[in-house]
Amino acid sequence: MKALILDGSTEENFTLKIVHDVIIDEFKNIGWKVNSRVLRDLKIGSCYGCFKCWVQTPGICVIDDVERDIAKETIQSDLLIFLTPVTFGGYSSELKKAVDRLIPLVMPFFIKIDGEVHHKSRYERYPSLMGIGVLPNEDKESEQSFKTLVNRNAINFHSPIHTAGVIISNQDKELIREEIKTLLSEVGVKK
Amino acid sequence: MGLETEKIWIYPSIKSQEKSSDLISAVDHFDTVIFASPLYINSLPASVTETMELIVNHRKTTKMTKKQQLLAISNCGFPGAHHNDTALAIYRLFAAESGFEWAGGLALGMGAAINGRSLNKIGSMARNVKKSLELTATALAKGKPVSQDAVDLMAKQPIPSWIYMQIGEIRWKCQAKKNKVRTKSIYNRPYQR
Repeated sequence: MKALILDGSTEENFTLKIVHDVIIDEFKNIGWKVNSRVLRDLKIGSCYGCFKCWVQTPGICVIDDVERDIAKETIQSDLLIFLTPVTFGGYSSELKKAVDRLIPLVMPFFIKIDGEVHHKSRYERYPSLMGIGVLPNEDKESEQSFKTLVNRNAINFHSPIHTAGVIISNQDKELIREEIKTLLSEVGVKK
Repeated sequence: MGLETEKIWIYPSIKSQEKSSDLISAVDHFDTVIFASPLYINSLPASVTETMELIVNHRKTTKMTKKQQLLAISNCGFPGAHHNDTALAIYRLFAAESGFEWAGGLALGMGAAINGRSLNKIGSMARNVKKSLELTATALAKGKPVSQDAVDLMAKQPIPSWIYMQIGEIRWKCQAKKNKVRTKSIYNRPYQR
């Protein structure tokens, strides 16, 4: 089983670093392969919204950079993990840059899911999705917005299972570990 | 109305230090700031998020004394305007964090029906959008928030969802054909494991 972490921290973030290391630890314990991409260290172009990945080079973004590898790694994973400072109730620009360019993984055509229109799937199977956001202080509104966004992304990316959690900065490492374990179990990760 | 206005394209403006400084100065200068963006994966495009991060960082060191209002307009290619709700929630939280008064958000569905064309050239398809923007401009000029009528008009679907979905499918296939991509190839799975 394989997991891909997209780390959207915009600068060295102490809590996100702990979360990241704990996730790697937990996957080692259960024998999963895990690949981590620290997005701020990569040169990723912004999505132009040109839709050429649908009508010119179907399934592949026309921007030839590392995001093509990230899209491939995403669809070939069993679990996709978003790590990010919660930014205005959403993702950091570093994470968003990578997420925007995952659009070639779905089709341009529409389908109704639970009565709501979404894009049809391109692939037979998609990874489950786990979103973990870090907030400096408790902020219920930002937390709710973040969790809603992960939920909406999971529907659009046809994730079989998804979960989202928010961790407040400067928590004890063992408490963070417990929260991560809970989230992993919610998203069906087991040995 | 005789108001001073300026339009800035975000995408090219954050490509250089100089242009992003100009953008931030303009945001500080005006009484009303309007963000208009397409919906990218349930929220704002990364370049808009990056701009908002720059504004918040700038305002950590520069205290704003004047009252400013912020309006957000989000449009999506899905038929239902409600898909924009997550984006508008993010804009509202940004407004609070950066010291703007939240004037409200307008959500537009079926964005592909307009597709960047002038509203005056689209006719009845854009009638409600025009009315909504007129109401909004009048409210903002008076320093008032967006009215519920304007929100409802913007969100109103000009045609039924099923017609829009069928037209959409035909248009995507035509575009692929123009690019010499066969219909079968649109379904390619280049990263299949």
